[in-house]
Amino acid sequence: MKILSSALFACSVLSAAQASAAEGERISVKGEIIDTWCYFSGVMGGPDAVVGTAHHTCALWCSAGGIPVGLLAEDGTVYMVLKIEDSTDNASGDTQLRLASHVVEADGMFYERDGLNYLIVEEVVSDLDIQNLSHDSYGPVPPFAVPEADQ
Amino acid sequence: MKHLFFLIALVATPAMAQDFSEGSEAKTWNLYAEQPARFEAKVVDILCELTGDCPDNCGAGNRQLGLVRSADNVLVFPNKNAQAAFTGAVQELLPYCTQTVEVDGLLLEDEYLGAKNIYLVQRIRVLDSDEWVRANSWTKVWAENHPDAAGKGPWFRRDPRVLAEIASEGYFGLGLVQDEEIKDDLFE
Repeated sequence: MKILSSALFACSVLSAAQASAAEGERISVKGEIIDTWCYFSGVMGGPDAVVGTAHHTCALWCSAGGIPVGLLAEDGTVYMVLKIEDSTDNASGDTQLRLASHVVEADGMFYERDGLNYLIVEEVVSDLDIQNLSHDSYGPVPPFAVPEADQ
Repeated sequence: MKHLFFLIALVATPAMAQDFSEGSEAKTWNLYAEQPARFEAKVVDILCELTGDCPDNCGAGNRQLGLVRSADNVLVFPNKNAQAAFTGAVQELLPYCTQTVEVDGLLLEDEYLGAKNIYLVQRIRVLDSDEWVRANSWTKVWAENHPDAAGKGPWFRRDPRVLAEIASEGYFGLGLVQDEEIKDDLFE
């Protein structure tokens, strides 16, 4: 019985620790607002091809289409963005669309759940516009993003 | 003591990745990290689930919706519906807000890119129904909401907000002058 009690106590402590891991943590992070589906799936190419200028038009399409946007931090971590300042419209919202492909410095709350990272942006400290000139390496991604490429 | 370690390990070890492919009829997209996955889950507003900010009707289509899987309570993030048209999953799942449904589609797990529990939903079934609903309604909803944008070509060539962004910043997002220079370099 003593062993069982000890085990249950240990389990309760561990469960509490696991639960607290899902609580928010205040962070500051800098990175690009990306289209998460193209980034995660590889459907349009490798991760370097689906960011920046090369993929800007596709990022607009996906954001307008309600695909979730993320923040790709400088260390490669992807945060699923659930709110930007006052806007909770995280599916096809105007703020997310306007910031497509931009690098931003953001303060907010970080959550982790089941292996995914989530970010509530409380303040866009700076909007550095588009920084990654990926079209130099990839042209438009996908190629039909720019009508002239089809002609 | 051995029993103690066993019990602790049983509870403390995170659930191993499970195989949800049984019975799936999901069509492949030939994605590197895809696995067919069919499972029961509750449809939730993800922002509500994480923070307690919970409007009526899961945000009425303006918020990303998640799937809390019945088998293991894991929050799955449906990024994509079944259409090959740059379209998300919210409109497909919204009719089932807070309900438990069965879904079928493709699960993406790519540790290198940080993709974990990312989902492409292809069909949805209410539990007491034999009928599956295809997750391909986004473009129809868009057309209903944009009667002034009717015309030929795919929706993303006609969407007013996308067209406004491109008219302002160009296809590469650097402004119209640079856009023309880039196009000259790339296509001429």
